[in-house]
Amino acid sequence: MSQYVDFDALWKVLVAALLAGAGLVAVYALGLVGLAAARNEDGRSAARPAGVVVAVVCFALVLAGAFMGLYVMLAK
Amino acid sequence: MDANTLLLGVVVVTALGFDFTNGFHDTANAMATSIATGALRPRVAVALSAVLNFVGAFLSLKVASTIATGIVDSGAITLTVVFAGLVGGLAWNLLTWYFGIPSSSSHALIGGVVGATVLAAGASAVKGQAIVSKVLVPAVLAPIFAIGVATIGTYLVYRITRGVPDRMRAQGFRVGQIGSASLVSLAHGTNDAQKTMGVITLALVANHTIGGDAGTPFWVILACAVTIALGTYIGGWRVIRTLGKGLTEIETPQGFAAEGSSAAVIFAASHFGLPLSTTHVCSGSIIGAGVGKRLAEVRWGLAGRMVTAWLLTLPAAALVGAITWKGADLIGGAGGVTAVFALAAVLALGLFLAARREPVTHANVNADWTGKLVPAKESVA
Repeated sequence: MSQYVDFDALWKVLVAALLAGAGLVAVYALGLVGLAAARNEDGRSAARPAGVVVAVVCFALVLAGAFMGLYVMLAK
Repeated sequence: MDANTLLLGVVVVTALGFDFTNGFHDTANAMATSIATGALRPRVAVALSAVLNFVGAFLSLKVASTIATGIVDSGAITLTVVFAGLVGGLAWNLLTWYFGIPSSSSHALIGGVVGATVLAAGASAVKGQAIVSKVLVPAVLAPIFAIGVATIGTYLVYRITRGVPDRMRAQGFRVGQIGSASLVSLAHGTNDAQKTMGVITLALVANHTIGGDAGTPFWVILACAVTIALGTYIGGWRVIRTLGKGLTEIETPQGFAAEGSSAAVIFAASHFGLPLSTTHVCSGSIIGAGVGKRLAEVRWGLAGRMVTAWLLTLPAAALVGAITWKGADLIGGAGGVTAVFALAAVLALGLFLAARREPVTHANVNADWTGKLVPAKESVA
């Protein structure tokens, strides 16, 4: 069977794709939550400036992930 | 101009033609969701994707590995076989475009080459095990991976941003969607333009125009980059409509999750050497984005038709490749190839004219899906 399926590459792709594809997407969503908390557009609770920090960290993580993805793909 | 030069010229032109349909067919992979959600205006989306495909084609300049290597005996590959394989791939690309069905350009090319090889050198020149491990198994895995990743991503995105005001959520994910779709475009240019570069380089080597260990000449890289970008910009609106509007109704957060999943799967597969088709990944991601949002409707009938087309890709392109090889071989020499090329060009033109009678363009690509590819005239926005 393994002559037909490259299991080694398979699980690596699956793990990397889950981390980047679902993980980073979720981190980006967290960044938006942080931004929303800081801006407090709906006025229901007090604005929390710390949200900006969360947002910046999250968006930076996503950007870093994207550049790392580009780098590893091109460096193959 | 001697016969060999003419033959080489026809092969190069056919290869660039294939490259063009490759871009044109696959604009949808990167941009269908951004167009459907309104994150980008249709023509801005295709222009952005075209530029990124162009840039992507220059990014990775390792010797372009040829798509057919390892699938058929390299000794069996003649210029005529390459030509017939390209015609097979081109024919399938154009036909599926006409019906608005996303399908893998690489599979079409492999099918064409396999079909031509079987007639030219016999079935023993085709490596069955390589077809299973490099083509069939990845084709099954790609959509499954993508559906899984996109489903989880979409679920998380909606779950996490429940408390975020709608307007802000839409804006935030719009930016994210443009970013992730750009990554997919870049990856497409890098991976797919290289396939044509590989084919042209192979033809040049077979004709002794360049040495066997020479790298890809610059004009080949430039020509492939320009052609794939042009194809992308012209935009296969029919396929864009199927992916963006047909499969499921897409909101901005779903579009973001779908493109993020596509980019991640394509990058990971490309890095770890699993040959997944961009088209299969992107279609799977969009289905996953539909599944991951509760109550979102996925039109499984349409998804089933797509999968049927994927199953047919290899045999259909192989059939056309075989017929093309036989035709060129019967007439013989450069004249045979030229004659078949002319016939194929006429058929392609006919298909374009047929498509123009019921056009799908940037203007009506986002019309409501009513079960048909071509929207009724009055629903044009």
